[in-house]
Amino acid sequence: MKLWVSALLLTVGCFLPSFGEEESEARLLVSKNILNQYLVEGKDLTVDYKIFNVGSRVAFDVRLKDSSFPESSFSTVSGNLQVSWERIAPNSNVSHAVILRPLKSGYFNFTSAELSYLLSEDATERTVGYTSFPGEGGIVPEREFDRRFSPHVLDWLVFAFMTLPSLGIPFLLWYSSKSRYDPAKAKRN
Amino acid sequence: MAATGKVLVVIGLFLLPVLTYGDTCLAPHVKSQTYSTPEAIVSTETVLIVEFTVTCKNGLKNINLYADIGGRTLPATKTSEANKYQISITDEHKKLPSGSYNLRIFDEEGFAALRKAQRSGESTDSLKPLFTITMSHPGIWSGPMVQSEFVAAMSAIVVWWLAYTARSKLLA
Repeated sequence: MKLWVSALLLTVGCFLPSFGEEESEARLLVSKNILNQYLVEGKDLTVDYKIFNVGSRVAFDVRLKDSSFPESSFSTVSGNLQVSWERIAPNSNVSHAVILRPLKSGYFNFTSAELSYLLSEDATERTVGYTSFPGEGGIVPEREFDRRFSPHVLDWLVFAFMTLPSLGIPFLLWYSSKSRYDPAKAKRN
Repeated sequence: MAATGKVLVVIGLFLLPVLTYGDTCLAPHVKSQTYSTPEAIVSTETVLIVEFTVTCKNGLKNINLYADIGGRTLPATKTSEANKYQISITDEHKKLPSGSYNLRIFDEEGFAALRKAQRSGESTDSLKPLFTITMSHPGIWSGPMVQSEFVAAMSAIVVWWLAYTARSKLLA
C-alpha cells in the first residue's frame, strides 16, 4: 500500500513541473539539413534551414547566423548565411536555403548554426538556440564523381573509333569485291 | 486656447496623408538574382531562391516585405546587407515543376489586405503588389534518359547482326 502511494506521488510529481511551465512564450526549433544525395567538390551544396515556432507567442527579431562554413572551403553560390526575420508567428514556420560550393574534397563536419530571438518586442535579453547539426559528410573529389556518374560519351566514341579498323577494313574488302562481281551476276540473270 | 487646438487638429489631418505616405515604398527599384536547383544529384528537393535589393525613391529602409507565390505566402528574409532580401522556396521536385514563377511582393499594408482576402476566400489576383519578380525554373535534370553503356551495347548488337546476316546470305 505504501509503495502504491509513493508511486502515485512520484507520478504526480513528474507531471507537476509541466503544469507550471505551460508554454506562454515563443519557442523556436530549427533544423539544418543538407539536401544533397552526393557531396561533390565544385558542385552545388544545398543547405536547408527550417524554423518552427512551437510556442504560443510571436518571436521577434529572429536572427540566424551560420558561421560553420569557412571561406577557404566553401564559396557561396546563392543565398545568405546571416539572415533575420522581423517576427515569426506561433505555430508557423519559415524556411531558408543557401547554396554553397565546396572547394575542397575530404571529410567535413557540418556543425550547427546559431539562432537568437527576442521573446517580446521590447525585451533586452536575446534567447539563443542552436540548429540541429547534419554531422560529418564526405565530399567526393570531382574526378572520382565523374568516373562513377558521367555518361562517358567521349570514352565510348574513342572505343568506337578504335574498333573501326578491325570491322571496317574487312567490310571494305568484301564490299569492293562484291561490287566488282555482283553486276556481272545480275547481267547473267 | 480651443481655437489653437482646433487648428492643430486640422493641421494634423492635413499632415496625416503625408505621414502615412512615408510608410510605403515609392517607385521601388528592384534588382534581383535567382537560383533554381539544376539537377537531382545536387538536391533531393527543388530549391528556388530569389535574392533582391529594393531601393525606394523616398529612401525607406528596412521595411518588412512578404511574398505571394502561387497561393503560398511567406515573409521575405532580411539579409545582413541593408535592403537586400531573400526568398527561398523548398519543396518536392514534383510540386515545383519547370516553368516561370511569379513572385508578388507585398509590404505590410498589402500583406494585411492579402491575408484578409485569403481569410474570406476571395481571389487575391486583384490586389496590387508593391512589385512583381518573375523567375524561370528550367527544370531538374535527373541524368540521361538512356545509359551510354546501353547505347554502346545496342550498336554492337546491330553491327554483329548486319555482319551475321550478310555472312549467312553468302553461305546460302
